[in-house]
Amino acid sequence: MSALREYAGPVLLALLLHAAIAAALVRGWQPDTDDMPRLVQPRIIEASILVMDKPAPRPPLPSARPDPVPPPVEREPEPVKPEPKPEPPPRPDPEIERRAQEEAARQKRLRELAEQSTVQAFESEAADLAEATADAQTMTYMDAINRAIRAQWSRPPSARNDMKARFQVDLVPSGELLGVMLLDTSGNPAFDRSAEIAIRKASPFEVPPDHDVFEANFRRFTLLFSPQDLLR
Amino acid sequence: MTDPISILDLIKGASPLVQAVMLLLAVASVVSWVLIFQRWFALNRVQREIDDFEDEFWSGIDLNELKAELDGQEDNLTGIESVFVAGFGEYGRLSGQADTDPDAVMQNVQRAMRVALTREEERLGRHLPFLATVGSTSPYVGLFGTVWGIMNSFRSLANMTQATLAAVAPGISEALIATAMGLFAAIPAVIGYNRFASRVEGMMKRYEAFADELASILHRVAHANAPLPHANAPSPL
Repeated sequence: MSALREYAGPVLLALLLHAAIAAALVRGWQPDTDDMPRLVQPRIIEASILVMDKPAPRPPLPSARPDPVPPPVEREPEPVKPEPKPEPPPRPDPEIERRAQEEAARQKRLRELAEQSTVQAFESEAADLAEATADAQTMTYMDAINRAIRAQWSRPPSARNDMKARFQVDLVPSGELLGVMLLDTSGNPAFDRSAEIAIRKASPFEVPPDHDVFEANFRRFTLLFSPQDLLR
Repeated sequence: MTDPISILDLIKGASPLVQAVMLLLAVASVVSWVLIFQRWFALNRVQREIDDFEDEFWSGIDLNELKAELDGQEDNLTGIESVFVAGFGEYGRLSGQADTDPDAVMQNVQRAMRVALTREEERLGRHLPFLATVGSTSPYVGLFGTVWGIMNSFRSLANMTQATLAAVAPGISEALIATAMGLFAAIPAVIGYNRFASRVEGMMKRYEAFADELASILHRVAHANAPLPHANAPSPL
């Protein structure tokens, strides 16, 4: 039947098109949640492993050539040479040989310098990373603590915008409150009391499991209470 | 925070009426795409046939020969061929009779070609009304589904003591799918309709031009009472 032949292709194409669109919709239907502010418990799962391979890929030789130091000749007789170096020709000319030796020494020095700088770069990068992780952890947990306290804080009616009360808070590693001490009073006892009550009600706090981070930032810290906000 | 709602859950959770609207729109979209593809292929074919036939017609072929050739394939004449067969066949039938008035012959020839043209126009423009209908109504159908869904989702909000965005948002999101589907069905249909309508119009112009040229050739012959010429032969006058 010619009608069948006439419509078979178009029907097939149309169905394929719709199936493709439906599949794309069903699979790709994910609203962007990445840039939405999320209210999640602090959960740091930032793992970073740095494997230090000795023969690390050498970066392009540092532009800073070694200062015109005399080539360290005492290293010369080292037999271990990672790369085939241009061996001096058998014995053509003492002058050429000397130059070749100098060149070899220079190259070796350059290589050592490059390797050293790679190692340094790796180390400093690892340190930076660890620091950044600790910072992120501190910020996340401190934010959570602030939020918990703010949720418990009922400001007294006598609170004014320019009041500020500073407290020192001591914690134990489990997050329990050890003590609260008023450092700077706001001048309004009701305000100070309300802030202290909020801290006590909000405890125990969640603190980072990392011992070093805890010791550095959470063992003892200060909180600044002002009616607009709760600042560290 | 819960996982983002999947579109399938949204569709499954919709009320029956909204689901029916969605189904209708999905079917309309599929059918209109079928017709778009079908028209696309068909019009491309017709375009090729017109080009081929005009090449042949103006190549200086003997019109009697051409007619005899086409008579053999009576069943599958292409559009322009059937115009030619209608006009030329009518001329052949009438001019064979003794003492016919050339003007009367030409009138009949033109009438026959007009009939053929009308039939061809109908064939070329087939399915276009459906595309036009889908294009103009499916946004409204989708909107209807959306309004209905939003109505329901607000009505359920009325029973709650505390109105939260989370209570209405899924309902509205699900209802809006209907509008999206309506637009999805409508846009290709409208584009297809406009495109094909203009192409059909262009082809009809070519048909009519061809019919006029054929008529003028036959007119010349009828009045000169000369034997049938080649299409591009110099005027017998």
